Order: sequence, then C-alpha cells, then structure tokens
Amino acid sequence: MNGISDTQLVSALRRQMTIAVAKQVASAGNLANVDTPEYKAVEVNFASALDERLTPPAATHSKHFSTASSGAISTQEIPGVTPRRDGNTVQLDQELLTMNRAGGDFSAAQTALAAKFRLVRYAINEGR
Amino acid sequence: MSSTLGAINAFGKDPIASKAKAATVPEGGVGESFGQSLMNLVENVEQSGADANQAVSNMLDKSGDVHDAMIALQRAEMTLQLTVQIRNKLVQAYQDVMRMPV
Amino acid sequence: MPTLSSAINASASALAAERTRIEVAVSNMANAESTRGPDGQPYRRRDVVLAPDRTSSFDSALGKAGAVGVSVAAVVEDQAPFRRRYEPTHPDADPEGFVTLPNVEPQNEMVDLIGASRAYQANLTAISLIRDLVSRALELGR
Repeated sequence: MNGISDTQLVSALRRQMTIAVAKQVASAGNLANVDTPEYKAVEVNFASALDERLTPPAATHSKHFSTASSGAISTQEIPGVTPRRDGNTVQLDQELLTMNRAGGDFSAAQTALAAKFRLVRYAINEGR
Repeated sequence: MSSTLGAINAFGKDPIASKAKAATVPEGGVGESFGQSLMNLVENVEQSGADANQAVSNMLDKSGDVHDAMIALQRAEMTLQLTVQIRNKLVQAYQDVMRMPV
Repeated sequence: MPTLSSAINASASALAAERTRIEVAVSNMANAESTRGPDGQPYRRRDVVLAPDRTSSFDSALGKAGAVGVSVAAVVEDQAPFRRRYEPTHPDADPEGFVTLPNVEPQNEMVDLIGASRAYQANLTAISLIRDLVSRALELGR
C-alpha cells in the first residue's frame, strides 16, 4: 500500500515537537532579554524547521526518509528588525505569539502521538 | 453491523477519499462468505489507519487541519475496536457451534 | 528536558532583573525631591545595567545552546548634572536662592516602571507556557 508508514509518522511527530520546544526556548531567551542593551532577538533556523515535511518530493528509497528527521536545529538572529535606541531587537508581542503557536503545535503533535500509541497498545492487548 | 460501520464512515467527512467498504454480514448465510466479510473488516481497519496517517501528515505540513487529523485518528481507533469486537463475537459463536452436540 | 529547564531559568532570571529595575525606578521617583542625603548631597538618580547571562545557556550535556538569561550587571549612579530650581524659601537654597535637585525626571521613571512591569508580566507568561509544554510532554508517558 502506498502511504505513510507508522515509523515515518512517529518520526515526523517527534520532530514537530522538538521544533516547537526549540521555538519556545528561543522565545524565552528573547523575552528574558527584552530590556538588555544590544541584545539581538534569535529565532529557530527556517531551514531546519522545513524538515518537518514528512514526504520529501520524489522520495522512493526508504533511506531517504531517515534524513528528514536528522537535521540539527539551530538558531539565527531574526533578520530585518530595526533596533530600538538601546540596540535591542526583541519584540515582546511577537515572542509571546511565537510561544503560543509553538505550544499549540506541540499539543497537536503530542495528542496525535498519544492516539497512535493508544491504537497500537489496544491492538496488542486485544489481538490476543 | 453494516450500519455501525456506515456511521463511523459518515462521522468524519474528511477531505481524504476514504476507500473503506461497508462490511456486510449476510443474514442467512447467502451471499458473501464469512471469510470475505472478515477480509473487508481488516481492509477497513488498514484503510482507516492509512487515512489517519495521511491526515496527521497533512496536519504536520500545514496542508490540513488539526481537527481533521484528530477525527481521523478517532475513526481509526473506533474501526479497530469495532472490528475486534466483531471478531470476538464471531469466535464466540464458532465455539458455541462447535460445542453443540451433533 | 534540559533545554526547557534552561528556558525557565532564563525567564526566572528576567523576573529578578525586571524586579530590580522596578525597585530602582520606584526609589528614583520617591527621592525626586530629596535635596539633602546622608552625605549632604542631593539624591543622585540610579540606573540598572542589564547584560545577557550566557554562562548558564550552553547545555554541555546536549552540546547545544539553551536559552540566554539576563542578569543585573551593575546598578550605577547617573552622572547627569543635577537640576537647579529658583526657590529662595527652600531650607536648602544656596545664597543665590537656587535649590539643587536630584537629576530625576519622574515621567522617565514612570516609563521605565511600565516597561519593566510589562517585561515582568511577559516572562511570567513565558514560564507558564513552558510549564504547560512540559506537562503535556509528560502526558505522553501515560
């Protein structure tokens, strides 16, 4: 059957959660330094976040799937923000928004993963 | 039983084309055999599982909604549970029949 | 999760730092008219210098950076000149009738106070969001 295997899905769910955590950590650091002079706000690297996509286009060999989740997550300075008078680039509402969104992403992935576990566990228990 | 599966199928009007077949259990033994019905049930389980995987994947790359994924997961769970219950009942009925004195 | 606990540490450090800023702003405002301190001089405005706290941010166990915290590097006295106001009836007026007043502008202190309060609130929110994340992650183990 042509579809997404369970292992792929679990791997992708894990990655979504890891990225959500990274975003929260970055935002927490930014919020802590909202009043620090010369501090530049950081964000999760866009390229590493893109690896969330489950099925890379035209992936035919099973070996392709493992690379989707193995990229390290890194942070970079948020580009294009005009610093305030003290050199700080942290935008308070932006960071809070990011944290809330990341929390939502994490919740969705965690609930889906818990549901998959429950399904498998049921099959194991009742399939005797 | 066919209406229950029909209800599960109707529960989620998800964008994914579900190829689940409504399993029909023949009343008087005419028509599809038990084996065929069981095969249909297993296919339903597999299909609902694949649909759920697709829905979750869509949720992850933002091409689908969270609620669709959650509904698809629930459908997969219900289909599995229903199928297991049917299997249990069939096994029980078989054992009952085998115990009958000839 | 190690990096998440570093995030909570960062937010907690901000709570302490912003509270210091609030305390200093309040002290400045309260002493805006203090013409004679214990050293006989008018009150000199104080300023909080914040610096990023990168020492606790690197999570060596994971080999990657956690959240950057903040710390109060110093509380310094503002060296801006004192204000002078013509008020000959004031007990601390000099022979020409001028009083030397602290270099405090109450409206500036108010702005700092409000900013520090907002930052304090935001970091409180951050802590609760992270805590939610951790408890949801724990649910996976159930």
